[in-house]
Amino acid sequence: MEAADASAAETPEGRVARRIAAAAPGEAGEAEAELYRLLAPRVRRYGLRHLRDSHAAADLMQHVMVHTIAQLRAGELREPERVLSFVLGTCRFTVMDQRRGERRRAELLARYADDLPMADLHIAPRLDQARVADCLERLPERERTVLVMTFYDEQPSEAVGTQLGLSAGNVRVIRHRGIDKLRRCVDAGRRVS
Amino acid sequence: MSAAADHLSVDALLDYWLHDDTPAASVDAVDEHLMQCDACGQVLDELIALGDGVRSAFRAGAVSAVATSAFVQRLAGQGVRLREYRPPRGGSVNCTVAPDDDLLVIHLEVPLEGVQRIDAVTESSLEPGVEHRLEDVPFDLQAGEVLYLPKIAAVKQLPEYTFRVTLLSVESGGAREIGRYAFRHKPWPG
Repeated sequence: MEAADASAAETPEGRVARRIAAAAPGEAGEAEAELYRLLAPRVRRYGLRHLRDSHAAADLMQHVMVHTIAQLRAGELREPERVLSFVLGTCRFTVMDQRRGERRRAELLARYADDLPMADLHIAPRLDQARVADCLERLPERERTVLVMTFYDEQPSEAVGTQLGLSAGNVRVIRHRGIDKLRRCVDAGRRVS
Repeated sequence: MSAAADHLSVDALLDYWLHDDTPAASVDAVDEHLMQCDACGQVLDELIALGDGVRSAFRAGAVSAVATSAFVQRLAGQGVRLREYRPPRGGSVNCTVAPDDDLLVIHLEVPLEGVQRIDAVTESSLEPGVEHRLEDVPFDLQAGEVLYLPKIAAVKQLPEYTFRVTLLSVESGGAREIGRYAFRHKPWPG
């Protein structure tokens, strides 16, 4: 346990969180921006996976970061170096809470949003759509079919397999091959351009 | 929360993203990993972007695909405007696409009993004598058809022409023709 705490304290996030907690409220702007830069993209990913909506994920990101920084400023996090556990817990709680009601989240955002340190974020890559289409067209029919049926509706392998008369395992193998070729083809296009 | 251990495989990230056969404990473990591992997070971002790219390309009619009737029915339920043709086996059909059609759906009815693998050979009157062979085309056993979705964005630009498709059952002893169809396309009037 002590070893785990020690390793948490040594993470970049743990060090930055301790700087925020040690400073007078609002006096650690640079550290707050750094924490935002480190954690906001991860919170957004969590939101994308669990809320399946980019606007809802962006809202979750704002809310969780506002709440985390407010708690650090107020000295409410007993172990600031364990900020990652706190952020993940807040993500889980907020997603559950969202299903119960929007009021508390909206109140928090209204209270703190203007005060939130912003930082340039690397959010997600933007792909050349024409290149993706061209790379898809180069795939064998079966791989293209599986990728289209998988991603158009975000269908799991079981559902795609049922429709194509294939086992879920077989769909996953075809999906793996197709994704691998697609990634390489799109990457090669990026390098050329 | 401990430091990020080994990186996750692309398949594990895909399963996580697609809710594919992942028990709640695995989802929690991946959530935890991603909260501390930007390298895996960036691979997931890339997979999400690829998925978005596939969806956008298909929606824009920039990609052809072989699909199933269940898939097409789901698209119709989502408000996608379909234009469907069912040429008789051995016959032809006059066809076109309207500017506001979203998807062109070609039903190739074919006897599938005992069929293991189908190849499709296509030929266009715009390129006489040039054949394209699509190997190992998926087929819809329940519906008894191969359901082909051409690139509608390209079809909308085409002049009057004829498109022929021959379906072959590929067997140990060679290939056997099981269906032949012709599409006499005319551009949308006006």
